Amino acid sequence: MMHLLEESLTWTNFFIFLFWGVVMLLLILGFVTYAIYFERKVIGWMQLRIGPNRVGPLGLLQSVADVTKLLIKEDTIPRKAERELFILAPVITFIPSFVIIATIPFSDKLFNANLNVGLLYYVALSGISTIGIILGGWASNNKYALLGGMRSAAQMISYEVPLVISVIGVIMLTGSLNLHTIVDQQAGGFWHWYFLPQIIGFIIFVIAGVSELNRTPFDLPEAESELVAGYHVEYSGFRFAFFMLAEYVYVFAVASLITLLFLGGWHAPFGFLDFIPGLIWFLLKFSFIVFFLFWLRATLPRVRVDQLMGFGWKVLLPLALLNIFVTAIYMSIIS
Amino acid sequence: MKGLIKGLGVTLKSMTQKKVTYAYPDVPIEMPDRFRGIQHFDPEKCIVCNQCARICPTECITLTGKANPDPEKKGKVIDTYDINFEICILCDLCTEVCPTEAIVMTNNFELSTYSRDDLFKNLQWLNDNNQHIRKENNSAMPKGGAK
Repeated sequence: MMHLLEESLTWTNFFIFLFWGVVMLLLILGFVTYAIYFERKVIGWMQLRIGPNRVGPLGLLQSVADVTKLLIKEDTIPRKAERELFILAPVITFIPSFVIIATIPFSDKLFNANLNVGLLYYVALSGISTIGIILGGWASNNKYALLGGMRSAAQMISYEVPLVISVIGVIMLTGSLNLHTIVDQQAGGFWHWYFLPQIIGFIIFVIAGVSELNRTPFDLPEAESELVAGYHVEYSGFRFAFFMLAEYVYVFAVASLITLLFLGGWHAPFGFLDFIPGLIWFLLKFSFIVFFLFWLRATLPRVRVDQLMGFGWKVLLPLALLNIFVTAIYMSIIS
Repeated sequence: MKGLIKGLGVTLKSMTQKKVTYAYPDVPIEMPDRFRGIQHFDPEKCIVCNQCARICPTECITLTGKANPDPEKKGKVIDTYDINFEICILCDLCTEVCPTEAIVMTNNFELSTYSRDDLFKNLQWLNDNNQHIRKENNSAMPKGGAK
């Protein structure tokens, strides 16, 4: 289907692109629905209780019921809030998270936008969501929302830096920013996967990624029990659903990236397991990463905001720089 | 750091442990014996002394008696006996004060209905409510059996 991009944009081509875009959106929405369900189930089991099990068989329709509830709620906008910014903020938060999915290759043969700077594209766009969060906090005309928005912006900016720097080691070992190439370099068995030679980079990327997602233990901006829900306190109904949707689509994007960059993408861990299609391996690793994120949420307490900033700048950033240094020394010794 | 890893191990292990939640309403809850639930009424034992209606703090018990149909025997026999469960607070004073243990408590507690009219329970219903009757009653009957 790559040839379609090289042809001129006829109506047929446009509708083909639109169709596949809508299919991807529906897949992402399905993922979000069942990620929320599984998160509640997993956290429930870890807390010695069953998760949702009433709505539908085994509670599978719980997220559908929740989304329906959000959709039919009244759309309140505070009187003194900035209307245009208030309405625009969830949109700005959600759109980059969906646009990033275009560059993520799920398997060898599945079509995606094979950008030569795929990784840079992800980093650049995930920064735009931060603007949406600040806008939401500011436009709500509420001091708690503003505090939450500011904390969130500070957190996301200060963890973007170690996030990107930790990936530079992987880029140095591969020599390209193209996600397809990075995965291809990890073929042939799990000892080639980048999480072993780049173990420091892997750990830093996971921690910074959890912080970028505003998930526990770094979920102070959302702070469901402090800060009265942070930057989305004034949002109700579908706009609130947009913020939640953006968070879960980012979970999808970050988990996919961890799988691609450090865990070998669609390659099998042992050569003799090659008969299982690549997509299945991708899904297995991806599911493990998502489970790990839920596990972290069920276990760890919330980090205080000064501890959070200190950790990002004083621990993760020097470690990420050390990682580049060590990788550079290693590469100059090898060659 | 080590504490964090141990914590992760604890949560992972707790996924395999038995759940502590009750499975109500799929599984009924077994209440202990002295639980104050819905009353059970035995009209044979009632001597229409009216003590339960007098002591009820919310005045939810209404009863009428009639003269004993057997002309030989003295005393009254219970004719109607209604408890209004909209205001009954299940405080157990009626069973404490009853000299014959005609009214006792059971371990049942499920009274939800869709209409308030259904909460006005009569003698027949209270007599039929005879599951899980409380064995040890805090009643005015003399302890250790009748003398």
